[in-house]
Amino acid sequence: MKYAVFLVLTLFGCASAEKPENGKLKIVCTTGIIADAVKHMVNDSCEVQALMGPGTDPHLYKPTKGALDLLSEADIIIANGLHLEGRMQDILEKLSRTKTVIFMAETLPGEALIYSDASAKIPDPHIWFDVMLWRQATGNLGEQLRAVAPACVESEKMNAYINGLDTLHEWTGQQIAGIPHSQRILITAHDAFSYFGKAYGMEVIGLQGISTMAEYGIRDVTNMVDLITERGIKSIFIESSVSSRSVEAVIAGCRERGFNVSQGGTLYSDALGGPNSGAETYSDMVQHNVSTIQKALQ
Amino acid sequence: MNSNLLWVLVGCALIGAGASLVGSFAYLRKKSLVGDAVAHALLPGVALSFLIFEEKSLWVLFPGALIAGWLSLLSIEGITRYSKIKSDTAIAIVLSVFFAVGIVLLTHIQQGNYGNQSGLDSFLFGKAAAMLPRDISLFITVDLVLIAAIWLFYPYLKLYSFDEAFARSVGLPAKRLEFLISTLTVLAIATGIQAVGVVLMAALIITPAAAARFYTKRLSSMLGLAMAFGVVSGVGGVFISYLAPSMPTGPWIVVLLSFMAIFTFIFAPHRGVYQRYMSQVRHRRKMNDENVLKLLYHLDEANPGLNYSSTDLSAKRYFESGPLQETLKRLSQNGLLKSINSRYKLSETGHHEAMRVVRLHRLWELYLNVRMNIADDHVHNDAEAIEHIITPELEEALLKELGYPALDPHSSIIPGVKPALP
Amino acid sequence: MTVLEAHNLTVSYDKQPVLWDIDFEIPSGQLVGIIGPNGSGKTTLLKAAMGILPADSGYVRIFGKPINEVRERMSYVPQRQSVDWDFPATVMDICEMGRYRQGKLFGRLSKIDREIAADALERVGMTSYRNRQIGELSGGQQQRVFIARSLAQQAELYLMDEPFVGIDAASEETIIALLEDMRSEGKTVVLVHHDLHTAIEFFDWIVLLNTRLVAAGPKADVLTEENLRTAYGGKLNLLSKVTELIRKKEYPLREKRRTE
Repeated sequence: MKYAVFLVLTLFGCASAEKPENGKLKIVCTTGIIADAVKHMVNDSCEVQALMGPGTDPHLYKPTKGALDLLSEADIIIANGLHLEGRMQDILEKLSRTKTVIFMAETLPGEALIYSDASAKIPDPHIWFDVMLWRQATGNLGEQLRAVAPACVESEKMNAYINGLDTLHEWTGQQIAGIPHSQRILITAHDAFSYFGKAYGMEVIGLQGISTMAEYGIRDVTNMVDLITERGIKSIFIESSVSSRSVEAVIAGCRERGFNVSQGGTLYSDALGGPNSGAETYSDMVQHNVSTIQKALQ
Repeated sequence: MNSNLLWVLVGCALIGAGASLVGSFAYLRKKSLVGDAVAHALLPGVALSFLIFEEKSLWVLFPGALIAGWLSLLSIEGITRYSKIKSDTAIAIVLSVFFAVGIVLLTHIQQGNYGNQSGLDSFLFGKAAAMLPRDISLFITVDLVLIAAIWLFYPYLKLYSFDEAFARSVGLPAKRLEFLISTLTVLAIATGIQAVGVVLMAALIITPAAAARFYTKRLSSMLGLAMAFGVVSGVGGVFISYLAPSMPTGPWIVVLLSFMAIFTFIFAPHRGVYQRYMSQVRHRRKMNDENVLKLLYHLDEANPGLNYSSTDLSAKRYFESGPLQETLKRLSQNGLLKSINSRYKLSETGHHEAMRVVRLHRLWELYLNVRMNIADDHVHNDAEAIEHIITPELEEALLKELGYPALDPHSSIIPGVKPALP
Repeated sequence: MTVLEAHNLTVSYDKQPVLWDIDFEIPSGQLVGIIGPNGSGKTTLLKAAMGILPADSGYVRIFGKPINEVRERMSYVPQRQSVDWDFPATVMDICEMGRYRQGKLFGRLSKIDREIAADALERVGMTSYRNRQIGELSGGQQQRVFIARSLAQQAELYLMDEPFVGIDAASEETIIALLEDMRSEGKTVVLVHHDLHTAIEFFDWIVLLNTRLVAAGPKADVLTEENLRTAYGGKLNLLSKVTELIRKKEYPLREKRRTE
């Protein structure tokens, strides 16, 4: 009887491991944003997949067995690094010993990074919101890919993508410049937009810290209400991948004080949008965010 | 006062009140852990509600929680009744299975699109910091229902909780009462997890009742006191987490509640550990006092008029030196001993008191000897212990019983026996 | 007049029959003792009479009617240990519980109810303890409180489960005197008694049980040597072996008939 069970389990195990081999190079990216960039750089000889879908919070994401299988079969793994994928650090480090694991954000020079606390120990990982930084990171990524898997990289595609980033950066700058100075404050659920703020001249404040793992307390909520009412900020924003409860509480608190701050819209912070959201690629995402911000605050 | 803080304060106070009220009955019926199981069982209900309706408003998720809570209670009941499994095991099984299913659903939701937007993980540890007026209106409704139900059916609930067999014999509808209690429990718990979350809810249910029990002998006061503990810890936890930035409210409420409970277990009058310890200390002192007085009395009987040092006394009867010194000092301070240069003798009051103790000792020996037929050489040790306990009423009863005797089994005079007036 | 009767009564606990085809009739105004060895079904008989335990077959009638129609005329005193005496209540609280009835509007007591309860407490000699927390009472005092609660119900038939277990002599005297008073008032008291020897002096009628009814009737008729040997002497050991077998194999005991 026991042997029968053992046999069945072994067969199960074998069955799940069999997958059709198609000879393509497998690139697995952690976030959809990274996968989007990579798809714009490679040709058909590579298969690109993202572990996290739209609306998934990378700070909290814990890989399932299916995800782990993907990772173990991957030839190249690309992650953001700087602890964005907070719960995957151990796995990524382990995998980096036997596979090529590229941490995009960690290819950037130290001076470019923003540190969230005074002691300058913990860098903010949300580098992609400074389009120029993202350009730099993707450029570095392209170089590394060329070195490791030259057959994959399509230079024309990559250059087009990077040029597109230049245009995007300029456009963003213009849009933000159109917002009156007093309204150039971006308030969101968590501190994802520091790089954006630094690059385009906005003050950025999040209710939670740089990781959604951190709890926020009542104090944080009331401080935020104080700030908004004092400075007369018109709108604050919810994020697609984070619960909007905290933002709702802040809005309600302001309203009690007689100040009607509006909910300016949904920003895509740590993840791309789903199908038909208008933010399925990096470029679309940035455009959506910027338009939303500009419309709400002008 | 800033509104967000006010909302959270009111919300947590309401939650504390409701949970402790319901928890008192669970505690008295010895079903405290059922509250824990129900709390954990709510998770799959909430998750399923979200999956079906894709809405995260509390009023939508609440019914899902209620149904799951109800199912868990039925499961525990069913397992206990229809299988050989005992109730504590049934509770553990239901708790684990439901919670595991809940985590599976929660993970599935979080891996999917818009999963983290759901904010469902806040059900694990509570998210008091973001309470809104519409949440408060739910809490108020639930609390009103709880209080109304308990007030209306109070005598029946009291009887049913105390003596279920008798309640049934009188014809009280046991099934309906069970249904009522279960519904109230599930309501209170489904509300409470907003503040402290699924994992800590059990504490909010049980601790206020357990602590309140120490202070009162009436059910009504116990309920009131439990509610007070619930409210105070709710409000206190909110304040603490407000004064320190980024502190979670739910856990602080539970920590505060636990401190109150621990304080109660130690310092409560009568039943507290400290009180009982102090009682023992007092008794030991009394025994030492009386033993010293007795010893001096005996020495005086043999050789009247002498003084004795503590060394002399230790030689005659075993005393630990530290306590002996303390006792001698205490007796002198209380005027029962006269001391000159560290040598002691009985004062008049001391003599009177010593006589009382010796009388009790000899009376008891006589009682054992005469009424219980215990040999004279076997009565001394028992009397050594009992002499300290006999109250004046018992003494009077002994005297009457033995007919105001003059001599003890060893033919020593029983001092100070005044025969009754005819 | 027959106060309590059982016909073909069978009750199982956990698939094991505890009472098997019991038949007897008890007249009014008697002090009746239900006695038998441990596990003979004595408590179960009381519970079945009160309708607290369902019968597998057979039925019980009280004053000729089904239990649910005559509850106000009977009173049940459960075993003292079936309750947690650490419950926050005073002696008077418990006594007043005797005045709660089904159908009373939300259980609120009137002034008359309270007077009746106070009288009952007086009859058991516990008035001076009325505000005492029940956990502070001795066993005998607790039993007296239970009986006071029962008296407060002002019933005609009293069913008591082992009221003399673990109580002091003074309480025992009080209770015996009380029960004899009740009998002279025309009430019927049916007690499950744990001790064979005292049963001989105290009861008028005896129901002798050992899963089966061994005998029921006036004391002298029942307490014969042969009956006692049958009940206590292990003659029914074979019966218990068979019922054990039934329990282990989990046979359904009898086809369920519609309860009458």
